[in-house]
Amino acid sequence: MKFVIVTNNPKVRDELGEEFEVDFADITFREVLCKVRDMIYSGHKLLTHPLSGSVKPNETPYKSVLVAKNTGKMDMQDASIIENSIITADKFSVKFPEMPDSVREDFQLIDTTLIKSALMSIPEIF
Amino acid sequence: MKKLELGNILIHDVQFSNEGSKVENGVLYVNKEEICKIALEDENIASCEVFLARPGESVRITPVKDVIEPRVKVEGKGGIFPGWIAKVDTVGEGRTHVLKGAAVVTTGKIVGFQEGIIDMSGPGADYTPFSKTNNVVVKMEPVEGLKQHEHEYALRIAGFKIACFLGELGRNVTPDEVKTYEFDNIVESAAKYPNLPRVAYVQMLQSQGLLHDTYVYGVDAKKTLTTIITPTEVMDGAIVSGNCVSSCDKNPTYVHMNNPVVTDLFEQHGKTLNFVGMIITNENVYLADKERSSNWSAKLAKYLGCDGVIISQEGFGNPDTDLIMNTKKIEAEGIKTVIITDEYAGRDGKSQSLADADPSADAVVTGGNANQVIVLPPMETVYGHLEFVDTIAGGSANNIDAHGNITVEIQAITGATNETGFNYLSAR
Amino acid sequence: MSKIRVVQYINQFFAQIGGEEKADIPAELREGPVGPGLAFNQAWGEEAEVVATIICGDSYFNENLEKAQAEVLEMVKSQNPDLFIAGPAFNAGRYGVACGTIAKAVQDNLNIPVLTGMYAENPGADMFKKDVYIVSTKNSAAGMRDAVKTMAPFALKLAKHEAIGASCEEGYMPNGIRVNLFEKERGSARAVKMLLAKLNNKPYTTEFPMPSFDRVAPNPAVKDMAHATVALCTSGGIVPHGNPDHIESSSASKYGEYDIEGVMDLTAENWETAHGGYDPVYANEDADRVLPVDILREMEKSGRIGKLHRYFYTTVGNGTAVASSKAFAAEYAQKLKADGVDCVIMTST
Repeated sequence: MKFVIVTNNPKVRDELGEEFEVDFADITFREVLCKVRDMIYSGHKLLTHPLSGSVKPNETPYKSVLVAKNTGKMDMQDASIIENSIITADKFSVKFPEMPDSVREDFQLIDTTLIKSALMSIPEIF
Repeated sequence: MKKLELGNILIHDVQFSNEGSKVENGVLYVNKEEICKIALEDENIASCEVFLARPGESVRITPVKDVIEPRVKVEGKGGIFPGWIAKVDTVGEGRTHVLKGAAVVTTGKIVGFQEGIIDMSGPGADYTPFSKTNNVVVKMEPVEGLKQHEHEYALRIAGFKIACFLGELGRNVTPDEVKTYEFDNIVESAAKYPNLPRVAYVQMLQSQGLLHDTYVYGVDAKKTLTTIITPTEVMDGAIVSGNCVSSCDKNPTYVHMNNPVVTDLFEQHGKTLNFVGMIITNENVYLADKERSSNWSAKLAKYLGCDGVIISQEGFGNPDTDLIMNTKKIEAEGIKTVIITDEYAGRDGKSQSLADADPSADAVVTGGNANQVIVLPPMETVYGHLEFVDTIAGGSANNIDAHGNITVEIQAITGATNETGFNYLSAR
Repeated sequence: MSKIRVVQYINQFFAQIGGEEKADIPAELREGPVGPGLAFNQAWGEEAEVVATIICGDSYFNENLEKAQAEVLEMVKSQNPDLFIAGPAFNAGRYGVACGTIAKAVQDNLNIPVLTGMYAENPGADMFKKDVYIVSTKNSAAGMRDAVKTMAPFALKLAKHEAIGASCEEGYMPNGIRVNLFEKERGSARAVKMLLAKLNNKPYTTEFPMPSFDRVAPNPAVKDMAHATVALCTSGGIVPHGNPDHIESSSASKYGEYDIEGVMDLTAENWETAHGGYDPVYANEDADRVLPVDILREMEKSGRIGKLHRYFYTTVGNGTAVASSKAFAAEYAQKLKADGVDCVIMTST
């Protein structure tokens, strides 16, 4: 299956960028979700849940989402999931605009393990 | 017929002892060196400290990694925590002794935004079930440079080992009470209770990645298909916790061992309903996994001939989608559902509570709004690392005032809005 | 400490002036308690008292809404109370709506805590339960004792600005604001009970009602747009400049019908929004942003659509009751149908 990892997490770019297609941009958590939303409306399929992880959208600055590359018809359920995710993320106002690098790296790590757990579910990979 | 006897040894106090650890007259005596020796068996653990925290004391434990109940298998196949401490023999039969009223609480900083607060007194104590247990607190520090995955693993396993060590102390103690859980196979139970509604329990397990995982007989739940487990198996530690992020609605191992839906369904078994089994399903990140797992929940619920199920969730956001998929698909099979969830309705309670919703979810029990703000007064003693309270879920920057009061959302409190219905909190 | 001062609003019936035949009496202020106020005073003892009662006929209030509201507000203000109670109205529909209306007005304008009570199926309940605390009462005045039992202590809490518990603890109708509480039974036991009730087809109350979805199945697609008559409708509040029909900026009670024959573009001089729920600057600058008359005119000209319907229908969606919205649409849908409109573009904000 052809897919792309949409992310703002440099660790995902660095660790997975060689093996997989990674669409990295230095944008906010919400902007990642909006980018994914736009992709879904243009016919991409959503592969992972945008609210993966228990770290709340106002704590972690990092988000990675798997999106299928093949463009087809817009999937209504995917659209509903991404829209609900954006609405949910908007409930949480960002609390930590600044954080120590060590915490930042931990957030990057957690996001990386979440997306790796999804990669394991793609039959062609493992 | 399967039968498991739980022999509860009621523990009303915990004390340090310079002699060997033991249980005597309802008191758990703990020898620090013995505990530390177990923890330090793992070369990845550099140091270990042991503290005691009793109900009503001015003590705060944070960040909590796991809470575990000391148990020992006295009769029957296998041992506590199959796949980890014991071999993978199928458990859930025979006799198990429980140090009821005692708990091992592990603490250690794995990531910088960790959380999980247990206050033994004050307003915070009302929100956590573990302010009522006599806690053996084990604080462990890793060797330098240890990766977070290995760190999590080391703390998790040390907790199980210590709980088993303490449980072993109850092997030859006569229990204060014995509770018997009998469980028929589906043919027998159908013959025995032809007129009672057939009810199963669908437990959703957190399974997303580091600090978000659950294990069944040693297997990572995200690599499992939805399956059936007999409810007495969980009482022997068949399901264990590897997650502690946003600890209000995560199940520590203690909750799996004492799963309240299991106990409360057993309570009604043979009286008002026929408890036919337990289905465990995961909450993966990958959407196709969600579809498959929820399809299987519905299929197995139908296969068991259920009239009704109780579905419990673990976590928020991503699992809301699994919860609604499970509910919709099971209801579509003509099986009635009650779901247990919690809410993130914002600090003012005005936001939409769940990230997904469906009209078929018309019978909901809620563990409360996790965004509710609480002020936790300072405690005389803190076991763990208080400096992280600043950055935890539900905390906010500079949330400790000059008097030491901490303002947090209750999502930082271990077990506050537990979604197996372990706690008493709710919302309207 | 002095007693908490309460002003109570009741109708002609509870003032024992008369029934329907006296429903047109105008608002009147009397000192001290009248009717139900006596029961409240008794319940409060030394803590609080009804210092004045406002009596108003149901027809008078509902038929002279703005005037009556202003009069009652003045009367309340003159008494400088700590709390305002309207009703309880039980199942009396117009009385319930009046209680909700005036309680909300007092709360919004005078910044005084307010409380009312009525039967769950009173139309006033659905209209106002999200705006003001409404205690759920029985369906007739025979439930007065019970109503006072719940309302009196709750009123004291409100007057003292104490923390308000969950709806099931205090007795008010769920208002969409989630409040935590500790239950007597743990969650799992409540779940087992709820499941048994559901299995046995007995009543049970969900602790979290799912948001209600009013899904409308779409009609079949219009095949020939080039000959179709298209109408524009909006809940975005676009109205002629000056809002001639006084459509309310929130909780609208009416819709407007406006002629756009020959209008090619909604200009700032002639059009604006009445909506109070969003920043109106961009809509007022160019109302086409909400109601795209300019684009539809272009499409009309290019033959993309047959024609733009001569009238558009508009209201303000801001906090407007779903029941009202449904009633508006049911009415103007008939007009659209009679006028031969083939399809409607409904814009929101």
